[in-house]
Parts: sequence; structure tokens; C-alpha cells
Amino acid sequence: MTMELALAELASNVLQNGEINEAPFLEGDAAAALAVGLAAIAAGYAERGIGAAAIGAIAEDDDLFVPGLIMTVLPETIVILALVVVFV
Amino acid sequence: MKLGASNTEYVNARVRSRRAKLFGDEDYRKLVRMGPSGIARFMEESEYEREINELGARFSGVDLIEYALNRNLAKHFQDLLEWSEGRIEDLIGRYLRKFDVWNLKTIIRGIYTDTPGDQIRTDLIRAGELDDRTLDRLLEVDTIEDAIEILEGTVYYEPLGDGLEEFEETGALVPLENALDREFYEHLLDDLGRPQEGPEAKYVEFLQAEIDFRNARNALRLARSGADLDPAAYYIEGGVLFEQDELSRLVTDYDELVDHIAENKRYGDRLSGALRRLREADSLIQFEHALDAALLQYSDTLSSIYPVSVSAVLSYILAKEREVENIRAIARGREVGLDESEIEEELVIL
Repeated sequence: MTMELALAELASNVLQNGEINEAPFLEGDAAAALAVGLAAIAAGYAERGIGAAAIGAIAEDDDLFVPGLIMTVLPETIVILALVVVFV
Repeated sequence: MKLGASNTEYVNARVRSRRAKLFGDEDYRKLVRMGPSGIARFMEESEYEREINELGARFSGVDLIEYALNRNLAKHFQDLLEWSEGRIEDLIGRYLRKFDVWNLKTIIRGIYTDTPGDQIRTDLIRAGELDDRTLDRLLEVDTIEDAIEILEGTVYYEPLGDGLEEFEETGALVPLENALDREFYEHLLDDLGRPQEGPEAKYVEFLQAEIDFRNARNALRLARSGADLDPAAYYIEGGVLFEQDELSRLVTDYDELVDHIAENKRYGDRLSGALRRLREADSLIQFEHALDAALLQYSDTLSSIYPVSVSAVLSYILAKEREVENIRAIARGREVGLDESEIEEELVIL
């Protein structure tokens, strides 16, 4: 009984005196960095498949080098779009 | 089963490019009008250039065409296994065991008829899982028992061993060949289970179709020939069209067998044209060609449902095989003097 009382007193003391500093989980910069990073990972994943297919096509026919290259870097555009959030 | 990531995209790109290089209707129309030497020349200017040049010095005429076709087929399918990795290699390899079975059958028949190894060698299609060394050793042995000994450790050892006893009793090769076929078809669906959707479900669906068609073909042949053979011995498990006891019953009644195929939900519509012809003309060969064409079309449909999957590879394998068989049919037909329309009937073109 006495123990419980003591605890309650302690708790109320802490609540009255404790100062709470609120800060966001992520700062704006960190959130932008995360956005760009995730976009880059997604682009990389997309390019993995396209790149493999492009190399396959080039191995069969050399003329496909340029189309293959263009197709491979297309997903890169999502990283560029993600870079926009860094500047706003 | 092999683990690890598969490079489906890479294999698909290469396969589709090669698929595009296969002969089209136009080419067949030209080929049908040519003699054997003309066909050889035509092939020399196409995909088959290297093989024709390599073999040109040793063979001529229809033999040259045939060996060049075999060698080209083997080269392309070996390539498939070389490029692919992981799961997709496993799936392709399984299907290409077909050629192991073909090679083993050829070798066993060769030994049975005392054909010298060098002559058997030219008929092999080195595209399966058995490596060149094993095949070469198989060519050197004189008895079927020795040949089976060499296969110890492969999947074919046990079924062949079982078939051997029956072979020794009857002296017919059928039990050995059946054992090989069964082994091949039943391993196809190993550990795949019955996936409900996704590319592997289509792979299974396609293989089931192949097994069903094989069963249907065997059943029709048995029904037609009226031979007193046990249909159960030819039954291959894994299909959806026939149950084993069903098949045994149907073989005795030809019309009912045809009806059974026509009533099937999956294949009835697809084969309706062929079935009608089968009823009218009683032409088994036409029906078998129709089955082949249906299978080819089926694999094409599947490969457009899941564009980047093993289906495209399967449809390429089938199309390539079909091309080789068509050219062979043209060359052989020309050699024995069939006219153009007769040869065209022998071709399977979509």
C-alpha cells in the first residue's frame, strides 16, 4: 500500500517537472533524401530486367545497341523526377 | 531443383530474336518447289549456313539437310541451357530431356540392330542433359545391358533396368522405350504441384496439354490398329484428359474416344476442326498434325499471357522443332517424288 502511494507521488512529480521537446521524426532534408534514395532503388530494380533483356537482344543483333541503351536508361527518369523534391 | 535468381529477361530477349528468324510461310512456299540440292542451297543462305558448310564435304542431298538440321537444333537448344540460370534453367532443362530420351532410344535401337557407332552418332541430337562423354561411351558398347550400366546415376537407370527384364523375355524394344517416355513425362511435373496462377501455372498447363495429346495420340493409334496391346502400358500420368481406367475402356470404342476428346472443356473447341476431319476422313496422320499445330498455337497463346516467362522459351522450342520437321518432310518428300500439294499436307504450319 505504501509502495503504491510512493510510486504515484513519484510519477506526478516527474509529469509536473519534465519538459518535453517535440521534434519531427524526419527533417525536411532527410525526407527528401529518402525520397530520392527510394526512387533510385526502384529505378535500379527496373533497369535490372530491362538491361538483361537489352543485352540479350544485343547479343543476337548488334544493331540493337542504341535502342537497348535508351530502353535501359528510361527508368532513370523517375530518379530525376524524385530530385525535384530536393529543390522545393 | 536449382536455386538462385533466374535471368528470365535475358533468355526471353534472345529467344524471341531467334524465334523471329525462323522460316515463315513465304519460305516454305519456296522450299516446297525446290529439290534437295536447292533446299541445301537455300539453307546455306539462312540460319543453317555454318552447319551446311561444316557437313557439306562429307554428305550430300537429303542426308546433308537432315544432319545439318539436327546439328543446328542441338546447337540452339544447347545455347538455351547455357544462357539460362536458376529456376528457368531447371524448367528448360526438364523439357529438353526430351532429347536425352530421343538419343537413348536411337542408341538402343542402334545396338539392337548392330549398327556401327559412327552411323548412330550422326543421328544424335546433343541437346539434353546427358553430356557428350556419356553419349560417346554409350556409342561404344555392344549390348543393351552395358549401355544401361553406363547410365547409372542418371534418372534413366532405374526405369531402364526395370524395362530390361521384360525386354529379355519378349525381345521387343517397346518396354524400354516406354520406360524412357514415362520417365520423361512424369519428371516434367515433378515438384511443381498444381500452381493456380502465374507463369508456372501456365507452364504446368502446357505440359499437361502435351501429356494429354500424347495420350490421345497413343489411344487413337491403339484404337485404330485394333492391336491387342495393354493400353495401360502406354498411359502417361499427369494429364487431365484421361484417367487410366477411362483410357483402357475408351480404346476399345473408337467413336466414344473421339467424343471424349471433343467433350473436354479445355481442348474440345481448340481441336474441333481436327476432330471433325478425323470423323469424316478417318485420317490419323491429319489428326496428329492437327494436334501438333494445336500444341504450337497453345504455347503461343500462353507466351503472350505472361510475356516474360518460361512460356516463350517453350513456344520457341516447339516452333524450332516444327521447323526442322517441316524442312525434313519437304526434303524427304521431294526425294521420293511427292508433288507439292502432297508435301504441303505433311507440313504443320500455323
